[in-house]
Formats: sequence, C-alpha cells, structure tokens
Amino acid sequence: MANANIAALGSTRKLLGFSRRTVEFERATVADLLRDLKTLDGRTLYDHLVCEGKLRGDFAIVVDGLSLGADQLDKPLQGGEEVVTMAILRHLHGG
Amino acid sequence: MATMQTAPVSPSAGKWIPSTCGMCLHGCGILVQVVDGVALKIEGDPSNPDNLGKLCPKGNAGLSRLYDSTRVVHPLKRTNPKKGPGVDPQWKEISWEEAYSTVARELGRIRAEDPRKLLCSLGDFQRILFWGWPAVFGSPNFFTSLGNYCGGSYHPVNGSIDGSFAAVNDYEYCNYWIQIGSGDGFSAHLHLSGSAKRMADARMRGMKVVSLDPRCSIASAKADEWVPIVPGTDRAFVLGMAHVLVHELKRFDREFLRDRTNAPYLVTEDGNFYKGADGKAQVWDTRANAPCSWDAVPAADISLQGTFTHHGRELRTGFQVWKDMLSSHTPEQMSEVTTVPAQTIRRIAREFVDAAQIGATIEIEGKTYPFRPAALNYYRGSQSHSNGLFDNLTYKLFNMLVGNIDVPGGHLGVPLDHRGFFISPGEDGQLKPEPHQLHPAPPFKYPPDSTHLMEWFPIGFDAGQLNTETLLNPQKYGLNYEPEAMLIYHANPLWNMPETDKVEEIMARMKFVVTIDIQHTDSTEWADIFLPARTYLESYLLNCLEPPAVTGHALRQPVVEPIGDTRDAFDILTELAQRMGFMDDWNDLLNMVCGFVAKPKYLLDPQKRYTPEEFWDIYARSVYGEEKNLEWFKEHGHAVRYRTPEETYMPYGSLRIPFYLEFFKRTGDEMRKKFDEVGLQDWPVDNYQALPFWKNSQVIEDGKNGYEYYAITFKESLHTFADTMVMPWLSEVSDKDPVHGGVLINPATARKLGLESGDRIRLTSPAGSIEGNAQVVEGIHPQVIGVSNTLTRYVSTNHRSKDRGTHFNRLLTGAMKYTDSATGGLESTARVKIERIAV
Repeated sequence: MANANIAALGSTRKLLGFSRRTVEFERATVADLLRDLKTLDGRTLYDHLVCEGKLRGDFAIVVDGLSLGADQLDKPLQGGEEVVTMAILRHLHGG
Repeated sequence: MATMQTAPVSPSAGKWIPSTCGMCLHGCGILVQVVDGVALKIEGDPSNPDNLGKLCPKGNAGLSRLYDSTRVVHPLKRTNPKKGPGVDPQWKEISWEEAYSTVARELGRIRAEDPRKLLCSLGDFQRILFWGWPAVFGSPNFFTSLGNYCGGSYHPVNGSIDGSFAAVNDYEYCNYWIQIGSGDGFSAHLHLSGSAKRMADARMRGMKVVSLDPRCSIASAKADEWVPIVPGTDRAFVLGMAHVLVHELKRFDREFLRDRTNAPYLVTEDGNFYKGADGKAQVWDTRANAPCSWDAVPAADISLQGTFTHHGRELRTGFQVWKDMLSSHTPEQMSEVTTVPAQTIRRIAREFVDAAQIGATIEIEGKTYPFRPAALNYYRGSQSHSNGLFDNLTYKLFNMLVGNIDVPGGHLGVPLDHRGFFISPGEDGQLKPEPHQLHPAPPFKYPPDSTHLMEWFPIGFDAGQLNTETLLNPQKYGLNYEPEAMLIYHANPLWNMPETDKVEEIMARMKFVVTIDIQHTDSTEWADIFLPARTYLESYLLNCLEPPAVTGHALRQPVVEPIGDTRDAFDILTELAQRMGFMDDWNDLLNMVCGFVAKPKYLLDPQKRYTPEEFWDIYARSVYGEEKNLEWFKEHGHAVRYRTPEETYMPYGSLRIPFYLEFFKRTGDEMRKKFDEVGLQDWPVDNYQALPFWKNSQVIEDGKNGYEYYAITFKESLHTFADTMVMPWLSEVSDKDPVHGGVLINPATARKLGLESGDRIRLTSPAGSIEGNAQVVEGIHPQVIGVSNTLTRYVSTNHRSKDRGTHFNRLLTGAMKYTDSATGGLESTARVKIERIAV
C-alpha cells in the first residue's frame, strides 16, 4: 500500500470535515483519490470538484507543489505525495 | 519661549537595528539607531543591495511618524452620531475588548445577512498578503482607487507581454533613456532610493535622459532635455516616433520581431490569427510562398512584413497590421495632438534608434545577449488615462521595435515579488499572458457580485472608482444589494477616490465604519471605531515588492517597544476573523497567498491562532529553508541579493512575447457576446484591441465644451499616498518649495487670464470644482494647470493637514466614459475652466 498526505483548505476542508489526513491506496490516480474522499453530505470530493471529467475552474489541486491542469486528474500517484485541495478565491483585491 | 538643549548623540551610541522602511510600499533596508529604548536616527542599510545605503526624505523622516504626538495609540469610539466632512467624531478612548466586540458584532451581523454588504478599502501595500481578508469574510468589494490610479492599465499589460508586474529601464547598461510621465530614478515609482543612486551612476557614465512631461518635474529638471507635452497625449508622441522608425528610417530589429515575438503571425481580416488545419498559428513561408505553421519553417524563411492572399482571404502579419496603422500617425499629425514639434519627434526617434545599436551583442558572465542600450520608460502620468491600455501597449511595442525588451540596456520587466516573472507556455509558442497577478480573474457574472464590477473586467485590475457610479445607481448595474458597512485598513478613500462629494454620500449611507490606521485621516473621521495599528518601527513583516534590480526579503522588525496600546495589523485582522468565526478560512487563505500550499510542511493549522512572530517565522522558513528563520533575519536583516542575468534577461527563454495582442482582441469579442446576452448592448468594449493607435479620449473631447485647460496632479519624493502630509519634517520642507505652494500656472497663461501669483482661483471640470492660490511658474506647459498632491488633503481632525484645500480628485470622475473599457484604468487628467475669485 502507498499513501498520500491530504491537506484540504477552505471550502474543501468544510466539505470533507477534516483539514489533514493521510490516505492509503493501491494504484490510484488523483481522480481515484478524489473519488475515495467522502464528503459530509454523503457524496465524494470528486462529485464536488469535477465536472465532465475536468477539474472545475473554481477549485485547484496541488500535488507536490505543482498545480494540476483541469485535464490532469488522471495523473498517477506513486505514494508519498503531498496533495492540497482548495477553492480558488477570486476577489483578493489589488491594483 | 522655553527651549530644549540636546546634546549630539554619537553614532556609536546604543545599537543599530536592521529593519525595513515603511514610508512607501517598497521597503528599503534601514538601520535604526536605538539608545536607551529610544529610536534616534534612521539611515539606509549599506549592506542591502536594493537601496545601497540610500534613503529618501520620507524614510529619513520615519521617526516623526513613530513619535508623532497626534498618532492614535488607543482604541477609539465615536460619540458624535452625526457624520460629515469636518464633523468632529468626538472620540472617546475605549478598551480593545470593547472595540473588538463592537466590530465583531456589527460586521458579524452583516456577514450573517449578506457578506457582500461590507465595503473594504485596503491600502497597506507592504502587507499585500493580507488583502484577501475581505474575501474570506465573503465580500468581493474593493472600495478605493488608490492602486488603480497608477497601475490600472500598467500591470495588466506588463503581465500580458512578459509575465512581469512592473517595468523599468536597465540602469546598468542603458545609454539613452526616454522618460515619459514617470519619476523612476528621480522622485518616485520603483524603489526610489536605490534607483536614484543607479540613475546617478548611469548619468555619470554618460547616459542621456529625455523627459516628456507637462510639468518640469524633478526628472525633467535633471534630464538632458525636457519636452513639455499636453497630458494624455504621450502615446501620440510615441506613435509618431514609431512611424519614423518604421516608415521613414525603416530601422527596426527585424530579427527580434521575427524570432522572439508573434509579430510575423498571420492575421485575418477579422483580426484573429490565421490558423492552419493543425490548429496552429500560421506564418508566411517565403520559400513556399504560402502559409505555414509557426514552428514548421526555418526562421530565416519567415516573412515579418507583408500582405498576402490565400484561398481568397487577405492575410497580413501582425507587424504589417501595425505598420499600416502607423502610416496615419506621422510626426506632423502627432504634433497637432501633442504640441511637440514634428522635428523634435523625428530627432528623438533618430537619436533613440541610433543609441539602440540594433544587432549588437554583449557578453555577461559568459553568456551572450542582445545589447540594446536605449529604452523608453513610463509610468503613471503617461498611462493613467481612459485609453491606458493603448498607452501601455504603445510604449511596449515601441521598445520592441528596437528589440530591447528584457535584454541588457533595454526595458526590463520587474516581478511582483521573490517568485519572479509569471512564466508558462501559452498558445503557439507564446508566453502565456498573465494580466491578473494579484488574484485570478473572476468569471463574468450578471448581476455582478462586486460593486466595482470586477466580473466585467477579465483583463483589468480592481477599478475602485466605479463604486461612485454603481453604489449611487445600483439598479443600472444590476446590483441587487446595498453595502451597509465599511472596513478601512490604512487607506483613505475620501482622499484617493474621484468625485469626493459622491464618496461622502456613499459613506454617509454606511451604518457602521471601522478603520485600522495609525493616524487620523480624511476617511477615519467617518469611522465608528478606530483600531490603532503599530507603525513599521514597531511591527514585523518580510518584505519583497517590485524590486527592479534585486530579489529576496528584508525583515521589518520592532526597533522599540510599541507606543501606547496599539496592535500589529496582523493581530487585528486575525482577532476579528476569530471573533467572527472564520479564522480557519483566514489561515487557509494565508496558506494559499503565501505559497505554503506548494510546501505543505509549512501549512498553517486552520484552528491555530498565530502571533505575528510565529507567522513570519513560518513564512521565512517556507521561502529560505529552516536555517533562515525569523531569528536569522532579526540578526542579519535581509536576504536580498542581485538578480542574476538569467533571472533578469529573457527569463522566459525561447517563448515568444506578444507583439500582436490577439488575446486582448479575442477577450473583447467574448465580452461583447456576454454583455449582449444579458442586455448590456451599450457597455463599451472598444479598448479590447490587439494593437494601439491614436483616438481622442473623453478628456480631449471635453475641450470642445469650453474646458480649455488640462489639470494634472503630481507627487515627488517627499510624500506618498495619503498620510505623509501630517509629518512635520516633510510638510515643513514641501511647504518651502514653490512647486508645492499653489496651483501651478504658466506665465503666458497667467498673463492671458490676468492672474498673478497668490490670486485666488477656481478650477472647474465637468465633474467638480476646486479652489486654490495661483502659483506662476515657468516649468509647466501653457495649456496645463498643476496641483501638487501636497495640497490635496481637504479635511482632517489632524490639524497639520486640515484645510490644505485644493483637493485635486474632486475634478475627476469615476464615470465609465472616463474609464478604460478593457482594464478599468482611471483617467487621472481633467479639463478645466479657470476663473479668478474675488477675496
């Protein structure tokens, strides 16, 4: 079994009900990992974050420091990854 | 009158503590002499390569902020329910507990009802990492135009061209520097103290400076040549020079344009790139005499110029499109717009291209680069206009004509912070445009969520001035809620927003206003609760913002015990978040904006309350590793180093930078459809253009309605933003300078109007009017009236700035026709009528 460390930020933390967790898996992609993460409403994180196979534009997933593109959810996990899930906040102000 | 005798203090007395300046946004390295717990002297830190031991007047005067007798050093509660300009709030000191509980109760109520009802003005640039606080509160609203005044169009264009945030010419290698509406190296903009030293060194080795400015600014006074120009027409001057290079001299860097930009990409009649069957942008293959994918033909065979026909379609290269546009921008035509003689436009264009040494190379640290020691530098005065996108694009493209973008001697991008340029591959071998670097662009939405309509400006920055339109006409803009509360954090919207009367009307509608600040300002007078923050000499921060020559953080740290009962702004924001139940989201926001998500071992625990020291220690370790923690910075002061040539020159490698901004044009097409779909057929999108050209702005059109003169404002190194006017050392100096003594007017104009220095005059624009005393000076264009920002404090409970009058921003307006329709950029010039007032 391999494992990955999950850090859930913002609304993804609230969906999951936890902020940090280590999960075990065998031969999994990021999409598989999301499907295994049950949310408090009885669904999975995949259901909330993914639309038609692609990561929704208002969420981000960072694996070992690199942000995944919307169509990179089939990225295989090797074990030992640090996976961060978060909602994108767009109104941070500036100028 | 009693006098106080003081003995000089030896420089060796006490200790010199390293820290960073907080008198503007850039944070020069400083050393503060502290004797017996009292800060006595501030000097530049010579070990910091950013400012090289130099310090501007503001930095030298920092102690007069720390020890200012009018500072607010206890939480205050308003006891006078009446609010208005000049109305005394009748402050009463209260405990932090009462202050916090009041704010948490009032804002908490708003948050429970609809968090969008909170308007926020955040102005502490050095703490830009904290600007997301309103977002985790739930408010999308940005109620200020402070940054938009300067960077509304500037930053999006920089980010779209080369992934930079700002830009400045190469002090080290440039030999011919055209300065347009900017104080870089002389009085303002990027890291003044170090830049002034670098500019002085460059002048000593012979660099020539030509300054275009309506006023004989510090840069103009020190330049080899000052070219007075009508405000807002700088672009016309540069378009005229571009015409000279392309059409008359036929001297431009063909190799750079062909190989390093998208200028050779073919464009169809509708303005889009011509795509091949493989979906790739096409270039014209001169050997095959046919279109070919951009990456399938040797560079030498690609045509930079030309109009071609293929399958019945007319195709032009991007370069050719601009060349054709430039044919109607002759020096004579542009002279009529700018008032600059055509022969001057031609001469400077020739001097520029001569100095650029097209084709030359230079070896730096074993690597050969193109060498283009001539560049055009610009900032607020030349591009903070309602066609600001065109202005910025023109200056970039003119630099590109000589191939000087991001090469030694040329015009260099400056990153936002230590993370460097935003670099990622885009379409067709191009660098991906990054117009938004402070936050992701919100998707289009109607009705909008934000009162400044951020959802309607996908390539723009936060156009705070639009609040004066939207909040007073919410139905017109589809806003289905009305703000009820305001958080002001070291900002002064009443000073920095156009149309002060409207801002007052908006603020009068607020049921609750809380301010976090150091001192009383125009805006804090309207607050119900005043939360006093610590100065930069009493607080922590790791600072790295827009450094032109270096990279790395310097530590701001307390050099003395805090005065009074004040709190670090980080503590205040965290306490409020905790009391309102969203500290977990606040910590997660910091995890995102500080980059901790890329290094999860440093992620903040959402449930833990961090002290400023703990937070900055984590930040330091996340960037520099475990050894360079906060203790290391306390001792060493900074980790600032020069940027390497690889970080400075063409850091995007072989990716092409856009010459033809098809991205802008395409975005405009998409926005047109979206506006049409929701019935906003009249909403303008005309500034979403791939290439710049001259068109009259509304300001120029206003001249047809009897507003004969142009009014501008300006600032110099003595002052910044809204709060230095109350500092005695600075106001004493500026009050003695005639430039800051009144409303500047040219002698010829004064004679024509029968005015003399000291006469009371009224300036009236289409938006409002102001009064002031005429100050007749030679150093201003005859069609222009100048108002120093020193004068523009209109009311405050602080007696030192009270009634200084001549509040320039009353002449401006936040109306859309004075706003860049693509970027939201603010028009900073007004047309005015002048009349004498009988006293």
